[in-house]
Amino acid sequence: MSVLEIRDYSLDYVTRDGTYHVLQDIDLAIAEGEVLGLVGESGSGKTSLAWAIMRHLPGNARELKGTLRLGDTDLCAAGSRALETIRGRRMSMVFQDPSTALNPTLTLGRQVSEVLVRHRGLSEREAWREAERALEHVELRDVPALMKRYPHQASGGEKQRVVIATAFACRPELIVFDEPTTALDVITGARILELFARLRAETGVAALYISHDLALVARVADRVAILEQGRIVEEAPADRIFRAPTQPYTRRLVAAVPRPDRRLVADQPASQAVLAADAIAVRYDRREATRNVHLDIRRGEILGVVGESGSGKSSLARALTGLAAYSGTIALDGRPVGRMDRVYRRAVQIVFQHPDSSLNPRQTVQSILARPLRLYGGDVATIPALLEAVRLPAHYARRYPHQLSGGEKQRVAIARAFAAQPELVICDEITAPLDVSVQASVVELLLSLRRQNGTAYLFITHDLNLVQQVAHRIAVMKAGEVVDLLDIEDIGRGKMHPYTRELMAAAPLPVG
Amino acid sequence: MTDTGRRLLRTPQGVLGLALLAALLLLCLFGGALAPYQPEAMDFAGRFAAPGARHWFGADQLGRDVLSRLLVGARSTVPLAVGATFSGAALGACLGTLSAYLGGRWDEAITRTIDAVMAVPHLLLALILVSTLGKGSLNASFAIAIAVVPSMARVTRSVALVVRRQEYVQAAIARGESGGWIVVAEMLPNVAAPVIIEATIRVAFAVMLFATLSFLGLGAQPPASEWGLMVSEARRFMHQAPWVIVAPSLAIAATAICFNLLGDGLRDALNPRDER
Repeated sequence: MSVLEIRDYSLDYVTRDGTYHVLQDIDLAIAEGEVLGLVGESGSGKTSLAWAIMRHLPGNARELKGTLRLGDTDLCAAGSRALETIRGRRMSMVFQDPSTALNPTLTLGRQVSEVLVRHRGLSEREAWREAERALEHVELRDVPALMKRYPHQASGGEKQRVVIATAFACRPELIVFDEPTTALDVITGARILELFARLRAETGVAALYISHDLALVARVADRVAILEQGRIVEEAPADRIFRAPTQPYTRRLVAAVPRPDRRLVADQPASQAVLAADAIAVRYDRREATRNVHLDIRRGEILGVVGESGSGKSSLARALTGLAAYSGTIALDGRPVGRMDRVYRRAVQIVFQHPDSSLNPRQTVQSILARPLRLYGGDVATIPALLEAVRLPAHYARRYPHQLSGGEKQRVAIARAFAAQPELVICDEITAPLDVSVQASVVELLLSLRRQNGTAYLFITHDLNLVQQVAHRIAVMKAGEVVDLLDIEDIGRGKMHPYTRELMAAAPLPVG
Repeated sequence: MTDTGRRLLRTPQGVLGLALLAALLLLCLFGGALAPYQPEAMDFAGRFAAPGARHWFGADQLGRDVLSRLLVGARSTVPLAVGATFSGAALGACLGTLSAYLGGRWDEAITRTIDAVMAVPHLLLALILVSTLGKGSLNASFAIAIAVVPSMARVTRSVALVVRRQEYVQAAIARGESGGWIVVAEMLPNVAAPVIIEATIRVAFAVMLFATLSFLGLGAQPPASEWGLMVSEARRFMHQAPWVIVAPSLAIAATAICFNLLGDGLRDALNPRDER
């Protein structure tokens, strides 16, 4: 018998602008002890399905037809009183961002023990002891002290472990994981996945694992279902979906997953440096974000910068673009840069991580692109050509950012950087918030712009597979310092820094 | 902007607020022409005439028609209050955005100064200004504008601090834009929505503050038919002829309600993300 059974389920959202079909004719079943991976791009309805299972849908949701069954319980028919005993007891959820999933005003111990008091009827003291055991079980150190701490006093990885311990606390039949490692950095995420594999083997819990990352899901799940715009287009065992996808959509998804062995750049950069940074240190108040960073970027080179969050990657980008005060020297084309003048600002451009916030929502694409052109002596008449270069139709000039998709916004941001005809473009995690297929096309666009203009890139990312596809050299940052700087050919050879090796090992390799 | 208008018309508060606003506008434009009598025409035989066919809203202690005075008085009440609020709001918005953009010591200096001004109650501040500048409608509206500035600057600053961290502002700084351009072109349009909403609600306060100043004899001077002044003059005869005080009081209340509703409607209309 299956733990979760979804039959012919359809869901609509009713908004003022009309009705959206979010989920259509969903058929899914999860057997005992099975992990089903659910993969889809943003807007495919995967999170809506999770909330439908948890019975926590927004007020404008309309369930058209179909059934949701947990064991022998009909979830659609369960009233709010019945759901209170089902949620947390028979099924629970692990959220994407542990920093918002925990209540900031309760201690970590309280959040775990509360579930035990509520669902297992333990007394406060028993629950506290049981919570201690649960937290030790998720490999947290110094649990008694940790339980007295508040969420903001714990790291992201620790918090996610607490959330997972809470989810497992009542031995539920089903756990829904909604992108549990996306908000964490690579190494922490890899540890969480190891923990999940262990807990799963011990408890034999059934799980629905939702993610946009096909490579990751294929490693975690037994079976994978692909969701495209509210429909399940393919469902297959995890090892098969990567090797032999049958549907065109799945094939496109698989093709878009970055593989380190498939290089996208063949040429070699010139040997002279376009930008040389010497002993760059950035301080915020008393905290050192980076210290003593030496880097030189050669003409036309793609220099990858990798590292965990908080390793100083973005601070380096901010220093190089004059957004953060720094000490040390920067030289452009061999000449030291004293003040950030117009020549330097034109030559070094930056593209930011979040396409939603990097374009002014009150300006049209036309005025967004016209600004750098006016500033650096370009011609506003070249805007259609500029849009064409980033593969957007010329009439997009009249649009506002909210009328564009995430990938289109990022293209406009790239066009804005290239309007200055720069020699170096700093790409600060620009593909991170994009879907895999969009990400692939943005990377491809960057490479073709580089072929045309000979631009160098400082490519900051945490995606190790992607960086191995495009970079000539990789700088590895840890705690504000560059610990390793190696040519792409040297990866996997002997002289790698131990930390680099650890990072590489944590990156989920695509199977097959 | 047409989008905002359409969304405004979809909320009941917006519709009611706009209808009242249209009525107020008509009063201000054509009030004088609509008035059945001259506002200052006295009729000693008809002193304290009760509301009826001749005087719809009754007559006051000098036999002047209350309705006519109300209609003519709209022009000397509403535009001044609206003008005072919006000029104060504009100044406050610029100050708040500038403060958020500059940050550090400048931010500290501007905010503390604003706090110091805020510590003085509105009415007291207005009283101090008017008694230094002299009585009169214009000085009163100037005082109201100044009284609005600190709280508007505070509201704007908190929104602008969020905008300051947005990447398009970072991009502008990295591009080498001047500070003035960043404040005016990049940040101000993005803090406008909450400022407009807040300012609209403040108009109601301004009408009342203006009425209070006139009531205290520091705003409009007799024989003007400014509404606050009408209330003040009618106070002595409240028990004898209550209608003389009720009519202008209701007019002030209606204006306040109009702008409050409009502010509520705008809050929903200017927040397109809240579509559900």
